[in-house]
Amino acid sequence: MYRLLLATRYLFSRPINLLGVLGIALGVWALIVVPSIFTGYLREVGKHLQSTTADATIRGLPGGVPIETLDELCGADPAVAGLAPRLLWQGLLHPAAPPSRSRPPARGLDELTSESPLVSLLGIDTTRELHFTGLGGWLRAAPAELQPKDLDDPLRPIDGEPAALLSPQRMARDGLRLGDRIAVTIGRLDREDGEEVFHLDEKPLHFRVAGAFESSFAAFDGLHVFVDLETLAARLGGDSSPNEVAVQMQHGVDTAQAAERLERILQAEYGRRVRVATWSEANRLQLGSIDHQRGLMKLVLFVIMVVAGFVVYATLSMMVTEKTRDIGILTAMGADVGGVATVFVACGAAVAVIGAVVGVVGGCLSAVYLDDFNTFLRRFDIDLFPVRVYNLRRVPYDLDPLWIAQVSGISVLVTVAVAAIPAWRAARQDPLDALRHE
Amino acid sequence: MTTPLLEARSITKSFQLGRTEIPVLRGVDLTIGRGETVALLGTSGAGKSTLLHLLGLLDRPNDGSISFDDQRVDDLSTKERARLRHRRIGFVFQFYHLIPELDALRNVQLGALMDVGLWEWLGNRGAIKARAAALLEEVGLTDRARHRPAELSGGERQRVAIARALIAEPELILADEPTGNLDSETAEGILDLLFRINRERGIAFLLVTHDPALARRCDRIVRMRDGRVVDDGLATTAPATEGAAPPA
Repeated sequence: MYRLLLATRYLFSRPINLLGVLGIALGVWALIVVPSIFTGYLREVGKHLQSTTADATIRGLPGGVPIETLDELCGADPAVAGLAPRLLWQGLLHPAAPPSRSRPPARGLDELTSESPLVSLLGIDTTRELHFTGLGGWLRAAPAELQPKDLDDPLRPIDGEPAALLSPQRMARDGLRLGDRIAVTIGRLDREDGEEVFHLDEKPLHFRVAGAFESSFAAFDGLHVFVDLETLAARLGGDSSPNEVAVQMQHGVDTAQAAERLERILQAEYGRRVRVATWSEANRLQLGSIDHQRGLMKLVLFVIMVVAGFVVYATLSMMVTEKTRDIGILTAMGADVGGVATVFVACGAAVAVIGAVVGVVGGCLSAVYLDDFNTFLRRFDIDLFPVRVYNLRRVPYDLDPLWIAQVSGISVLVTVAVAAIPAWRAARQDPLDALRHE
Repeated sequence: MTTPLLEARSITKSFQLGRTEIPVLRGVDLTIGRGETVALLGTSGAGKSTLLHLLGLLDRPNDGSISFDDQRVDDLSTKERARLRHRRIGFVFQFYHLIPELDALRNVQLGALMDVGLWEWLGNRGAIKARAAALLEEVGLTDRARHRPAELSGGERQRVAIARALIAEPELILADEPTGNLDSETAEGILDLLFRINRERGIAFLLVTHDPALARRCDRIVRMRDGRVVDDGLATTAPATEGAAPPA
């Protein structure tokens, strides 16, 4: 019992021990806050990518394959809910007439697409998209005044002219309103004398703005313009058939396994060029890069924990030196080697546990309230999580109980291991030298 | 002499100073009986403190044997010697050696906690505290129980140290110049206390001292010189000359 009594007295009578507590708390705090934000960011980006990429995408199909044939082939798999053909083409968007309305300065999400005219024209089969992808929700998410007049047929031609759907941000940036005309200049790669040559079409494609859409992924919104698939294919001419097919899976199925099955079926039918990639495979580089950064960050932050361990070692070493005579007294009173060592290990353990608890509580609260804090800081033009960089409206977080337990457990173990060194030195003191110590 | 409690036979001890071996004890024989008070007199460097530490099992002799209650103890393991020290031997030091972070009551309690686990303490903490408070009352410090050592006088600190030595109910108390750091009036009070404890509790005392007057209050006086016992006799027959050994 004397071990606990002395450990607590030594601990609370020496303010320098706070340094160790603060070090551990800081390490644990950082190891909870930073990875939780990374994990949250990864989750949010994943959600956004999934919502805009579709569960799986078929690419590499030969031209002219009717969607009904694909329905038949893929629909045989119970995991498949439906297919939506798409024709993706790059272009440069510019209002048909110079905007008469003044442009507001780019702020927040607007900055993502502020001055770039580059867009991806996405030709879609509206009925299938509304049925199988998130398009219906994105239309309803747009400001009411910018929503298409007919949400069931948002790309219905306006006065006989083809319609397009844009993001509210792009509309605002280009000063566009419903019904305004836009032009998209496109180009194509042609093969001349065995070499690929890029040709810019002299005549741009013209569309009327039918409404806005808003997914939760601002980068996707800013860069995409939805148009009718058949209209786009007709304007492009030649063999412009859908170059990708979005696959919507049934809820709860293993997307990766289903994609593998589909790929086998389609490759057997159309050759090895056909690929079926899940949303995570399609975005593997982006997600992998964030995950890699998260791993590196954890490694770097563990250095803080090591430094905190050294602080505990230094403070406990000082304590052992200062308490040399007490060690002699305790030995004279009947304390054994293990008992003396336990006093100082208990001090280290208490520092570690208090530090870990403070760190965990502080880390969890910081992660939860970081967005509020960031909102407050924005008043002073300080932004910890700029939208233009991270493409998210809120600071994300994801507190993983297993990771928190690992961080706390490892921090306590490391500190106790470090504390054992001076504790062992204390236990090995010659009691007579210790009693003579001044 | 009463029944032997502690017996040291042919104790030798030397310390290494660089390459030189310094002999401190050269074959010391000493016996302390139950309830006996023995004064250990001698000049500085005579080997008194070294002998005290060996008898208190804080150190091991190079040669010879130490027996406690007819059982050899110098060859016990470190852990066993610690247990014996806690249960049967008490220490009182010249410089009190109290734990500065603990108040008087806690310092006394500490003496009873060396082999008490957490659960045992939780079950007996009231009794341990009451025993510590009773001992503080016995040494006249009830009103100073909540004061830390830095807030106590030298005499008060030594009384706390005595109470701490008593709480484990030892059979032998080894006191290394217990009044060496006190003024004569306070020292007299401390000695009165020690001899009263000896009379009332039957605890044996080995008192290391330079003070012949203190020595004469003991049952026996053992004189040391150059690492040897040069005289061992009843205090009542000791010469009145100060501290020196009687002529051979």
